[in-house]
Amino acid sequence: MQRVYITGLGVISSLGAGKEANLKRLCNGQSGIGRASIFESKYTESLFFGEVNLSDDSLKEVTNNQDSVDLSRTALLAFFAAEEAIEQAGLSKGDLSSYRTGIISSSTVGGMCNTVSLYNDANRKEKPSTFIDSYADAEHTMRLIKRYGIKGYSSTINTACSSSANAIMLGARLIRSGRLDRVIVGGSDALAKYTVNGFNAMMILSDEPCTPFDANRKGLTLGEGAGYMILESERVVDNNRVLAEVIGYGNASDAYHPSTTSPESIGPTLAMQKALALGGVKADEIDYINAHGTGTVNNDETELIGFSNIFDQPPIFNSTKSYTGHTLSAAGVIESIYCVFSLLFNEVYPSLGIKHPMKGFASKANETYLSGIEIKHAMSNSFGFGGNCTSIIFKKA
Amino acid sequence: MDQSREELTLELKKHIIEYLNLLEVKPEEIENDELLFGPESKLELDSIDSVELIVLLEREFGVRVTNPTEGRKIFADVNSIVDHIVSSREN
Amino acid sequence: MYITDLKAILPQDTYTEGVLTGQFKEHNEMVFSAIEPNYIGFIPKGLLRRMGKAVRMGVGSGLPLINDHKDIEGVLVATANGGMEDCIKFLNQIVDYDEGILTPTNFVQSTPNSIAAQIALLGKKQGYNITYTNGGLAFENTLLDAMLLFEEGLHSKLLVGGIEEVSDYSYNIDFLLGKYKTEPISKEWYLDSNSVGAYCGEGAAFFVLVPESKEYLCRIKDLDQITYPNEADIDQLTANLLSRNGLTLADIDSVVLGYNGDVRHNKWYDHIGDSVFKKANVFCFKHLVGEYRVCSSAALWFLTHLFQGNKVLYSKMLKEDRHERPLKNALIYNHFDADQHSFILVQK
Repeated sequence: MQRVYITGLGVISSLGAGKEANLKRLCNGQSGIGRASIFESKYTESLFFGEVNLSDDSLKEVTNNQDSVDLSRTALLAFFAAEEAIEQAGLSKGDLSSYRTGIISSSTVGGMCNTVSLYNDANRKEKPSTFIDSYADAEHTMRLIKRYGIKGYSSTINTACSSSANAIMLGARLIRSGRLDRVIVGGSDALAKYTVNGFNAMMILSDEPCTPFDANRKGLTLGEGAGYMILESERVVDNNRVLAEVIGYGNASDAYHPSTTSPESIGPTLAMQKALALGGVKADEIDYINAHGTGTVNNDETELIGFSNIFDQPPIFNSTKSYTGHTLSAAGVIESIYCVFSLLFNEVYPSLGIKHPMKGFASKANETYLSGIEIKHAMSNSFGFGGNCTSIIFKKA
Repeated sequence: MDQSREELTLELKKHIIEYLNLLEVKPEEIENDELLFGPESKLELDSIDSVELIVLLEREFGVRVTNPTEGRKIFADVNSIVDHIVSSREN
Repeated sequence: MYITDLKAILPQDTYTEGVLTGQFKEHNEMVFSAIEPNYIGFIPKGLLRRMGKAVRMGVGSGLPLINDHKDIEGVLVATANGGMEDCIKFLNQIVDYDEGILTPTNFVQSTPNSIAAQIALLGKKQGYNITYTNGGLAFENTLLDAMLLFEEGLHSKLLVGGIEEVSDYSYNIDFLLGKYKTEPISKEWYLDSNSVGAYCGEGAAFFVLVPESKEYLCRIKDLDQITYPNEADIDQLTANLLSRNGLTLADIDSVVLGYNGDVRHNKWYDHIGDSVFKKANVFCFKHLVGEYRVCSSAALWFLTHLFQGNKVLYSKMLKEDRHERPLKNALIYNHFDADQHSFILVQK
């Protein structure tokens, strides 16, 4: 079975456009959550968001889409991150259009961030809007396929918050199976009235910036962003480009409730167990976990219960959603990218906003910038709406 | 208000059936004092339904329920919801 | 991998299998609507009341299979749009009430992954769970994923399915995109139409898959897919698919093609049916179910029954009769909008 290596990373979030910008703010403990200035909604006055600080027009500029009239913000974010990842991996045109190169993306919102256009088109109020062909979940994937001439396997996944983690997992599996040599994996989600109002209707949004793993946490903060990784098989990889390795992954269904995790943390526990088993890694060999850590009462509690089911002593962990907000489908890949940063630079970033650690748990989230620590195995957790739980383990190259 | 308590109660039940899409349930089959929520109740409404009821009260009766905890007491049964509507109208 | 059971809710009487005895619905409306069963009795009312059509059809097809096969481990679902009607109902609330206080049910039900989530919830399945939304290739994505899971050796029974619902909203958007015919269906076999556009359909088709079995309905041997291909790509993919399965062109006795009445897209099917596999029988299925993104799941449902020797389906689906050979190696070739193309190799 082919080993799976990561050779390219691309990311855009409220921490900035590109790896360097994201890394800098992680190291400095600087959150990207604040008041939204580009996203239009009644809630920009009362809620906080992890907004990408670039307008759609600016995104078009930086992604070479100046003449486009129908690219959704989700697609624009995807273009940015995909280009950065592909460039780092040094993929040629021939590499990209090989039948053995695939793409797996993910989104929750897709092009539905264009609320007014969608409303008009779906209710057939007027002539078709310019965004008529932009709404589908898979649409941004199709645009990437067209831009990069990808002829191999393609897929778009939507399992809500675990989507891009599932994309990484599937990409790794396809490479291991020998069917593909290279896969572009990740996801994108832009802020949208659909999701903001949806989560607000469920009353799980905090009216303050989210504080994952804080005793008085009030809910989640929505964010936007995109991330892509280039995965390559052992067979074709240029060893000089290897950033890290994907060694383990697991997916399970909590099957308890549409929007809350089981008190016993069944789904998260199973997912982590599967990842460890597949990776051939013992629990005590995990040096760091990037937790799902949304900042809701239910998630953070059940996630820690999950940790206690697996680890005698949970390793260092944080939630980088305290920087970016919850980027929905993009969360899995963005947070996996941050795991790779920890592996590459032997550092762990502080979880922000904790005033009082959660009661009843011996383990606490890491609150300081830690450097010079050996991180050999890092785990990234993503536990989606509807109970879809995925855990991925990355290994130092 | 001119509407009698009986009329209000019937209107409320019709809205409850519509908002919650209760299948094969007629207004007259909902007792005014039967528990609405929880495993002992006939209808077995849950937390998502309580949010729907908050919206129902605001949209159909102009009555605000500010948080789910307050809602829990108000939504105990049809009588308590009607009481809440009546007292909100009096204020 | 092998299909051992299946269930479908389609614009034909597939749920109670009337089609297998020749009870076909002749569609002459603009939308081919699914014939839904009465779900009360096997979907709890408390959950059914919240479900939009996509979720109902998905749970309605998938749950009975889970009940009959308690050892199903994972649930893999394909749906391009999910609960689009619920989605737009929620969106309408956002606009009409100017983001005021909104009811959450439409939102929760609308997300594409709610189908797989609710099947897992109701069936108490804590195993692998995934939802693919990749348009015309989403169903193929589930099949390949299942194949991988079996190869990986940790699963021995899976539920896979494709669902797509049509609502006014989804129809409006696709109509504005020029995907549908603007004139009512003619009485002739509409696949000979000279106009652009297809007829919109909907449905759910679910399958129980196992990696090995002595008794099975048919075998899914292999599959492949491509986006934005040219004709040379299609030929290359066909050749690769056959050669890696030790088959020649002549070995393929039947092709099931996704002709949908849109005259713009016939050439792809003509090429496969009339030049590449000119000795194979040609079957069609979209005159029965219409066009929708995951309709290759319907093709597979019909093909599985063809493999059981069902004669009425055989004659209803047959487009080109080229020989009398029994079905042994069949190829489903389908595309959505000529952008996403797939091949599924199915064997006796």
